[in-house]
Amino acid sequence: MSATITNPLRVGLRQERVIAPQCLVIFGASGDLTHRKLVPALFELYKQRRLPSEFALLGCARRPWTDEVFRQKMADALGDKVNKNRLSWDQFAAGLFYEPVDLQKPEDLVKLGHRLEEIDRLRATRSNRTFYLSVSPKFYGSGCKALADAGLLKDPKRSRVVIEKPFGRDYGSAQALNRIVQSCGQENQIFRIDHYLGKETVQNILVMRFANTIFEPIWNRNYISSVQITAAETVGVEERANYYESSGALRDMVQNHLTQMLAITTMEPPGRFDPEAIRNEKAKVLLAARLADESEPWNCCIRGQYAPGGTKEAPLPGYRQEPGVDPISTTETYVAMKLFIDNWRWQGVPFYVRTGKRLAKRLSEVVLTFREAPVHLFDAAGGGPTANQLILRIQPDEGAEFHFEVKSPGSGMRSRPVEMEFSYDESFGEPSDEGYVRLLADAMLGDPTLFTRSDEVEAAWRLYTPLLELIEDSPWQLPIHPYESRTWGPAAADALLANDGLLWRRP
Amino acid sequence: MSPQLTLQSPLQLPPSEVQSYLEQLWSNDQPGSTGANTFCLLVWQPAWVEQQLVRTDQIAGPIIGVQRPELIQAARQAVIDVDMPHSTAPLDVTVAAALAQRKGTQHGEDLRGQHVDAAISALQPRRLITLAPTLDEVHELETLVAAYCPLPEEGGGTAACGDVVVLRGDHDALAKGLGILQPLLPAELPSWVWWNGSLDEAPDLLDQLAVPPRRLVIDTALGNPHRCLDLLQTRVKAGQAVNDLNWLRLRTWREHLAMVFDPPQRRNTLHHVVQLDIDVEGNHPVQGLLLAAWIADRLGWLPQSSKRAEGEGIAAEFKRPDGTTVQFRLMPVPMGQPSIHPGQIVGIRLICKPDSQPDHAVCVILCAESGGCMRLEAGGMASMELLEEVVPNQIASVEMDIARLLAGGHNTTTPLLAAAAPLAAKLLS
Ligand SMILES: NC(=O)c1ccc[n+]([C@@H]2O[C@H](COP(=O)([O-])OP(=O)(O)OC[C@H]3O[C@@H](n4cnc5c(N)ncnc54)[C@H](OP(=O)(O)O)[C@@H]3O)[C@@H](O)[C@H]2O)c1
Repeated sequence: MSATITNPLRVGLRQERVIAPQCLVIFGASGDLTHRKLVPALFELYKQRRLPSEFALLGCARRPWTDEVFRQKMADALGDKVNKNRLSWDQFAAGLFYEPVDLQKPEDLVKLGHRLEEIDRLRATRSNRTFYLSVSPKFYGSGCKALADAGLLKDPKRSRVVIEKPFGRDYGSAQALNRIVQSCGQENQIFRIDHYLGKETVQNILVMRFANTIFEPIWNRNYISSVQITAAETVGVEERANYYESSGALRDMVQNHLTQMLAITTMEPPGRFDPEAIRNEKAKVLLAARLADESEPWNCCIRGQYAPGGTKEAPLPGYRQEPGVDPISTTETYVAMKLFIDNWRWQGVPFYVRTGKRLAKRLSEVVLTFREAPVHLFDAAGGGPTANQLILRIQPDEGAEFHFEVKSPGSGMRSRPVEMEFSYDESFGEPSDEGYVRLLADAMLGDPTLFTRSDEVEAAWRLYTPLLELIEDSPWQLPIHPYESRTWGPAAADALLANDGLLWRRP
Repeated sequence: MSPQLTLQSPLQLPPSEVQSYLEQLWSNDQPGSTGANTFCLLVWQPAWVEQQLVRTDQIAGPIIGVQRPELIQAARQAVIDVDMPHSTAPLDVTVAAALAQRKGTQHGEDLRGQHVDAAISALQPRRLITLAPTLDEVHELETLVAAYCPLPEEGGGTAACGDVVVLRGDHDALAKGLGILQPLLPAELPSWVWWNGSLDEAPDLLDQLAVPPRRLVIDTALGNPHRCLDLLQTRVKAGQAVNDLNWLRLRTWREHLAMVFDPPQRRNTLHHVVQLDIDVEGNHPVQGLLLAAWIADRLGWLPQSSKRAEGEGIAAEFKRPDGTTVQFRLMPVPMGQPSIHPGQIVGIRLICKPDSQPDHAVCVILCAESGGCMRLEAGGMASMELLEEVVPNQIASVEMDIARLLAGGHNTTTPLLAAAAPLAAKLLS
């Protein structure tokens, strides 16, 4: 791909929506996510002039850092990003503060309240606050409660809480957490993060579907024969073994990210483009979704786990050999399943969803396969004509492509498939926002469109309850199929589609 | 959104008592409270045309200082009645001057400063101070104060609120009144000064009001073009945060122009511009010059020469980074129904000729939805690839634009405007 020449006229045109003066409070400020993702995203927003001058970031965690230490740690973590933009960083860093807070100590939150008032005076942040819970999930409920008890959530227009993933472990725990969180504030104050919704192409699915007239008439069971949703990673479990052992691919990826992609691909058109209208439709379609075989879920779900692989020179360990993983672990690192959506639009169309670690390629995509032409008039290069496919690429190389048949050059009337291609990076002057940049901006803007609402989260958990129960109660019925690292998953997953006369797309 | 009144009818106080009254007001309400921790807004609100229209009984009072549709309609009618060119912007000071010649003694209640647009009040300004100059030759200083809380449905409802202060009188009275302002602006809060009038009037008051670090909001479509660009340029250079409503109104033009060059195969074309034409409404060139200056800055063009062209236009030359000359021409075009903002852009044309393929020229034309741009579409482009776009009319009111500025807030001028301002001034000189 040729290097993208940026469009010099594009610079500075992203300021359509204005982030109000405010103080962003991050709990877990000494943690991994803060210095790896959150602070870099904020600094990016600052450099693009999308943060107001009246902005402060207050880091909170238990360790007794000072403002100065916090600034230094963040500067160290950002490394070159800071060195190349010294002046901007110094201005940005003047708005960074730190307060030692233990979310379990009510007196600490009272102290936090005072500190926030002081910052409001110092930085004119208008008593406007976004609280970001980047702490262990076990603190999500108690953290919200502590904030509410300290009176920090009482103004629904000027305070909001961002909650990281995962939201619950199953339907019951998600419901329980929702009850606590909702007792602390109004639903529109709660921003549940789903990283995939921060991706431009996921949002583009909405725009493609609802800003064009050509897609909507064919976006249904009459024209679409099947849909595949894939989120493949090449990496293994890395340093997250501890968390991953108790989670697995189903909880880590399917329940949230893939289900959000499913909802956006299949929802009905909302009446207007407003967060509640969109979230209503997403929740509705999720309620209509079900596993292809709920009574015997093993018929529609395959679990896998990566085994050693790689080359002699660069061998890759299997999941069970990873540090921190139980050598007889039955946690899945791969899952593939078949779903149906029981509504007028999608009745009978199979949805195949898969995700895994240590697969052959890193990629996320939605593939819509259209029905075949009713009569085959022409010979096709590959035997029968290839069905039309619309592929929405989420990552990498965000974009879309359309596969269709054309006449093969030469005499005769043979057809062959070709691709029509649209690539985000190539078509626009600037690369799209990184997920956290977009999500942080939206949370601070108070725009919940890209965050999941309580009923969506619960509907998503409910969808997978039969599987989660089976894994819990009789795991042997959903066996773990090992697959070689850097391949496309276990053979059993191919068989799931082969039964329906289909193949996974090999990108 | 309809503008609304303060909840309480304002109290007239001697100027010297304003400060202590306000301090007391807040501490009575809630000990230690000083109102919302937000910002202060100072507004120069002459509303000359409105005052004249009320005085000559062409519109009913009260005088509120908001650009409501009845006002604009009456002003358009007045342009016709006083025999001014139809392309005169209806709220222009020349219209007020013409109306001043007419008889009339109608008196309308003066509520300037007490009407707060909902878009602004939702932001809970801590203090809104309005300077309301009157038509009377002699008008002693009057000072009015009122506490103010936005209604819950406008984003209010919690304890912290703000207040409004109105200074009313003739020019000298207001100049004297400025003395009470400094202590009314808490140092820790940002303050904005919105000069909601021509930059030609009351320069002494403007200078006293708009002292850094106060942030300045002006409209370079109002006033002598030289003065407008001079003021913009000097203030930006001095490091003040300047917001220009005339520049903000360029947003959609900039967006559409950028869009034309988003596809990668077109981006290279952008470096081969040989001619830039801009048509503007009436005789105010500033917006057109700011757009040209922005393009020049983004593409690294340096101004070479500039002169008045026939028909009151401006002709200039730029040098591209590769040394090639770019011809620039700004032309005023008369409009039947002019916008309320003088000198709005009607059309842009860019002609690009890649050196390597001189016969593959591209012509980009953007036209305002309201105007069309027949002049730019005419002549000589048959052999070029033509890209044409319609730029939709702006719908945001001045108050909405101000609310957007106040909703975020920067203590520096946006770098794009800061770079364009001196270039635009150079093109005019
Ligand atoms: N890292 C990622 O890439 C990633 C990706 C997706 C989601 N997430 C989610 O993001 C959240 C944070 O992840 P992380 O990787 O940053 O975790 P982490 O590195 O383990 O950090 C946890 C943070 O919580 C603080 N903390 C612990 N107990 C506390 C208490 N009682 N009161 C206040 N602060 C407390 C810790 O600081 P002290 O020890 O100083 O208190 C630390 O700063 C998690 O919910 C995770 O699920 C992370």
